[in-house]
Parts: sequence; C-alpha cells; structure tokens
Amino acid sequence: MDFDLSPELEDYRKKVREFAIKEFREDIAQKHDLEEKYPDDLRLKALKNGIIDFTNPWKTMLGIEEMCRVDPGLGISATVPYFGAEILLLHGSDYLKEKYLSKVAAGQKIMGLGVTEPGGGSDVAGLKTNAKKEGNKYILNGSKMFITNGSIADFFVTLVRTADPNPPSKRHRGLSVLVVESVFKGFSSSQLKGKLGVRATNTAELVFNNVEIPEENLVGEEGKGFYYVMEFFNISRVFVAAQSLGIAQGALDMATEFLMEQEKNGISVSEELKFKLSEMATRTEAARLLMYKAASYLFNYKPNPTITSMAKGYASETAAFCAETAMEITGMTGLSTKLERFFRDSKIMEIWEGTSEVEKIVISRMILKGDGNE
Amino acid sequence: MNDQVQMLLDNVKQFCEQNIKDIALNIERTRIPDKIFTALREQGFIGANLPSSSGGADLDRASYDAILFQIAEYSPSVAYYVYMNNSIILPLLLKSGKKELAADIISGKERVGLSAGNILEGVGIKTTFQETAIFPSRLMISAGNDGSIVLLKGTFEESGRKSLGLRGLGIGIKSFSTEKTEEIGRKEDIEKIFVESSWEQAAIFLGLSQGAIEKAVEYTKVRKTFNFPLKDYSPVAFRLSELKSDLEMMKFYLFSEDGDREKGMMLKTRAADFSRKATKYALQYHGGYGYLEDFGVEKFYRDSVALNAVMFRTDVDRRILAESIYKSKTGYI
Ligand SMILES: Cc1cc2nc3c(=O)[nH]c(=O)nc-3n(C[C@H](O)[C@H](O)[C@H](O)COP(=O)(O)OP(=O)(O)OC[C@H]3O[C@@H](n4cnc5c(N)ncnc54)[C@H](O)[C@@H]3O)c2cc1C
Repeated sequence: MDFDLSPELEDYRKKVREFAIKEFREDIAQKHDLEEKYPDDLRLKALKNGIIDFTNPWKTMLGIEEMCRVDPGLGISATVPYFGAEILLLHGSDYLKEKYLSKVAAGQKIMGLGVTEPGGGSDVAGLKTNAKKEGNKYILNGSKMFITNGSIADFFVTLVRTADPNPPSKRHRGLSVLVVESVFKGFSSSQLKGKLGVRATNTAELVFNNVEIPEENLVGEEGKGFYYVMEFFNISRVFVAAQSLGIAQGALDMATEFLMEQEKNGISVSEELKFKLSEMATRTEAARLLMYKAASYLFNYKPNPTITSMAKGYASETAAFCAETAMEITGMTGLSTKLERFFRDSKIMEIWEGTSEVEKIVISRMILKGDGNE
Repeated sequence: MNDQVQMLLDNVKQFCEQNIKDIALNIERTRIPDKIFTALREQGFIGANLPSSSGGADLDRASYDAILFQIAEYSPSVAYYVYMNNSIILPLLLKSGKKELAADIISGKERVGLSAGNILEGVGIKTTFQETAIFPSRLMISAGNDGSIVLLKGTFEESGRKSLGLRGLGIGIKSFSTEKTEEIGRKEDIEKIFVESSWEQAAIFLGLSQGAIEKAVEYTKVRKTFNFPLKDYSPVAFRLSELKSDLEMMKFYLFSEDGDREKGMMLKTRAADFSRKATKYALQYHGGYGYLEDFGVEKFYRDSVALNAVMFRTDVDRRILAESIYKSKTGYI
C-alpha cells in the first residue's frame, strides 16, 4: 500500500495549483459569483494549458480538487463542460462520439446531463419526461430541472421514458438516454438565478415541447438508460468527492492561515480552536483516503458503489463541516473574505449527484445485501 | 410563558404577516425598505425595551425578546435592526447623554450603523477606513484604538460584494470617510451591553431557527420521493421532530426564565449552535430547491452563520459562560 502520488501525478497536481492560483484571482471569482456568470474564458484556458487532462482519471480527480481548493465556483466551471461525457464514452455509438464527444474534448462544444425533473431528483426512476418513437425519430415532451450548463450547453445527455415500465412496479425499466441538442425545435431553457453558491456555474430548467430527436441520438440500447445513469453516478461521485475535498482543504488552508496570523500577532489561540482545526484536518484526510480508495477501485475497472457512496457522502459532509467550522474560527474576519463563498459553495456537495440521504440509502442497501461483507 | 408574552407574540406575528412576509425576499435583495422602518416605528418596536422617560415602551425582558423572536422568524435582518438599535445604539447614546439623537432614532428621523469589526476587535479609527459595517449610514458607531467608542459622521461607499447574511442590512466592507468623531463611551460599555443582551441574541437565533424548521416541516408534508411524502421517511421525520423539540424547550426557557445574565449566556450558547444545525437540515430537506433564493430557506442558513459571526464570539463567549459557572478565571488555555 503506497499513499504517495507518483512523481508524474505530483507534478500535475502542482501545475494545476499554480494555474488556479494565477487564473482564479479573487476579483474574478467575486465578479462571477456576484453576476452569476459562467467563465467561458477559463474553460478554454484550462483546456489549452493542459489542465483538463482526460488521459488519466487520477489527473482529472486531482485537478478538480486543486482547482476547487482555490475557488469552488470557478474550479467546477472549468471542469463541468464535460459533465455526462462518460455515458457517451461507454455506451455511445461511434457516430455520437464523433459528432458530440470529440467536439467537447476539443473545447468546441459544451455538454450537460439532464436527469433531475421538477418533480424529483432523488427518485430518478420516477421521471416523467417521455419520448415516443415515431418512424425514425423520437418525439420528446417534458422538462428537466437544475441542469448544470442548462443555458450554455450545445447538447444534453438526457434520461427519458421510452416505454411503460414492465411490470409497473419496476419503474427503472423503460428508461433510455437520448442526446438532445439545444438548437432542436421545441427545446427551451431558462437560467435559474439566485443560487446560494457555485454561482459561476450555469444552472437552468429545460423544457421539451414536441422536440424531434433523430433515432441515431439514442445512446446504447433502449430501456437501459437507468443503468447507464447509475453507472455514471458511480464514476462522477468520485469527482464530486474531489470537489468536496477541494472545498474542505481550501477552508482548512484559510483557518490555518488565520490562526497562524493570530499567533504571529501575539494573540494566544485557545486549545478549543486548535482542536477544531485538528478535527477539520483529520476529517479532510479521512475523506481523501476514502476518495482514493473509491478511485482506486473505479480506475482499475472494479467499481465499488458502496465505497464510492461512502466517499462522496463523507467528503461532501466534510466540505460543509470544514467551511462552517472555518467560519466559526475566523468570526467577523471570515464574513468579509472568500471563506464566506466557500461556505455557500460547500452546501451543494450534500445535494447534487445523490444527496447525503441517497448515499446512505445506497450504502445500507449494499451492506444489507451482503455486498459490504468480506 | 405569561399571557402578555403570548399576546405579544400573536400581535407581532400578525404584523410580520402584513408587513414582512410578502417582501421578505426583497428585503434581502435590496436592503430593508423605508416602509418597514416606518411600520417598526409606528408599532413602537424601536425603543420598545427602553424606559418611557427616554421615549421607550418600557417592555420587560421576555416581551422585548418576543418581538425579536417573532420578527426573526420572518426576517433575521429586520430583527437584527431592531436589536442593534434597541440593545446597542440607543443605550450607548443615552448613557453618553445624547438624548436628542436617541429621540431622533426612535422617531425615525435618524439612522445609525455599526462598524462591527471594530467594535468586536478594537481596531483603530482613521480618517478614511475600510471596515465591515452593519447598516452603513452617514452616522456610524465604531471603536477607537484607544479603547474608546466613537460616533462617526461621514460618507461611505458601497462595495460590490454581497455579504454572507443579513443582506437586508447591507453588511459589507465599505470605504468610510470620516468628517467628525465624538467619543460616546468606552470599550467596556459595549462589552457589557453585548454580554447583557444574550437573551435578545438568543431570541433572534431561535426565531430564525423556527422560520427554517417550519418551512421544512411544511415542505416535507407535500414533497414526494419514491411515492411517499418525505415526512414518511424516519430520518427526515425524526430529525425535524428533534429539532422542533429542542426549539420548543429553548423557547420555553426564553419566555419563562427570569433575566439572569448567566442563564442568558447559557441559552445564547445553545441557541447559536442550534441555529446552525437547524437551518442546515431545513435546507437539506428542501433538496435542490433549498439551494435557490426563491424558496426562502437558504437565507436562514446564511443568516445563522453570519449572525454567529456577528453575535457569538465562539471563544470569548464560551469563556464568559465558563467563568460564570466556575466563578473564577477559566478556559483561557
Ligand atoms: C446547483 C445545482 C446543479 C444541479 N445540476 C444537475 C445536473 O446537471 N443534472 C441533473 O440531472 N441534476 C442536477 N441537479 C439536481 C440534483 O442532483 C438534485 O437536486 C438532487 O438529486 C436532489 O433532488 P431534489 O432536489 O429533487 O430533492 P428531493 O429528491 O426532492 O429530496 C428532498 C430531500 O429529501 C431527502 N430524501 C429523499 N428521499 C429520501 C428517502 N427515501 N429517505 C430519506 N431522505 C430522503 C433528500 O435527501 C433531500 O434532502 C442540480 C442541483 C443543483 C441545486
């Protein structure tokens, strides 16, 4: 068991950190947070500078952590144009990969993933958006809620119902994934403003009104959509753990700096505050190890949903804990620094891509099935 | 809780339903509008706790706390505005003999802000300074670097940054150019006021917690996942019920106990921690909708942490409580 990163990964981590410190300046972060505006220039810069590197998933994970450590809103914005790509990569036809995925990788297009609906996010199989096959196309009707990149993406990998579940109790049957372009007739989106945090990212509601989707835009097989999306979450949750770790580490950095400054100025720091710092550091380290374990299973093609959910659930709660504790340690000072933004950004970690409660449902279900026993 | 307090709670609730409820979101977006200041004044909320000889309504501790508690359920910003005037600004002005200015504040002619960073940390005055200001105005109360508390007259510049919480009060770093300063007290005065207003601070923490919990209870009755309303899931139902129980017990204490300083510190310490926990769960059970301003629950989450920074000095206040329990110097290592 070796806990050190390889020299190549360590170099990459440093490179990303330098990039983030240079490019995610406080004035830029504040502006995008205030104006709720997506930083497209940073997306392109990150791509051009080799900061986004899909050749090695460890790099993707470490890069996300380092960027979010400097600024979560900008860090997520730089890495989220590819959200949902793994579904196309694993199940899309060569035609779809060429037409859509290659353009995203080249920075020419932005994509999004449409799963959540106004009526529900945790209950994925309960979705209502439906696509009826007519000749060589699908007619799509319904809506999607809280979709990241919703009003800037060129296309969306979208989970829809193509058949009634059979039997009706097996609601996850009859779902399929379609690629929906934002220029298709009948597609519309409206940006959701007034988010608590990650305000540099774009979030929107999508509406499909008799949108015609060519049949070639079906991803993989009809009826397998639910499995593709769950498989995707088992991948993406590791990356959400990385976002969370970046936030936790960033909050820890700020609290440490604050207490060091106090000591330098001759203000004695109580054990109580030092213990809080210790707890932040310990939880962050524990979350990182759990994430590495989940990543290790996943990147070696042996995904372990129990460990992945543990990693995502624990890291996201650690992010919120560290941001809140850092606010407590820094008091009034924290109110007017970037730490307050970290605090606002941190809460989404416990909500998106499986809420904390959903992760606990997955973990307990797997353990009770015997999957957690060795 | 006596009948007078219950009646007051009902009246203030009605006031909030009529004056605050529909504009609660706007208060956060654009600062507290003039019509709220007028309504607060007309109801006698500004100066409510002060003696009638100073133009106040002479309310007892529990009744005054009932006002703060009930307003905080609708708008923590407005509750804090009432608190900072009644418990900090007016007592300081009256003690230093500035009766006219105090009367002008009660009658609504004048408004004064606080430079909170200075007051709590004791940083110096400059002709032009940048400090965290609560309710930036042409008149500000701040702390001098010689241990004095000063009334400043001048002009300020708004900063682009939005504050984490209490946005209705326009908290933020402002550049303030001072024209005139006048000493109105010493740092010990503000420290004393701060500790002695623990009950009021607890009332605000509990009021905002109630606002968040009530929203979550209502939401979890109607939102369904996997064909069941959220309230049917044990973790949701048990957690919200626990929060509600803790809240009710602290409310009972808030409205029934005498105004003993130590008991006030005890309640404030519990209420400050509780507000962070309660607002966090309330947001969580709203799922993605909780993350949006429009649903009015994220405001409580932000405000609880902002108020913890403004009203609860984690180390200092816990030590004051410990010292009052041990009756000796304690908790300083
Ligand atoms: C900023 C933002 C960006 C997002 N981006 C995307 C995106 O790009 N694509 C996408 O598809 N979605 C996206 N989402 C949606 C996100 O994944 C959902 O919000 C999340 O899955 C929760 O769903 P919900 O909001 O419908 O909450 P609900 O499912 O209604 O849940 C509400 C609350 O109830 C709890 N709960 C639900 N069921 C149970 C149960 N059985 N037991 C105990 N507790 C339960 C939940 O944990 C939660 O706390 C985004 C959301 C936000 C806020």
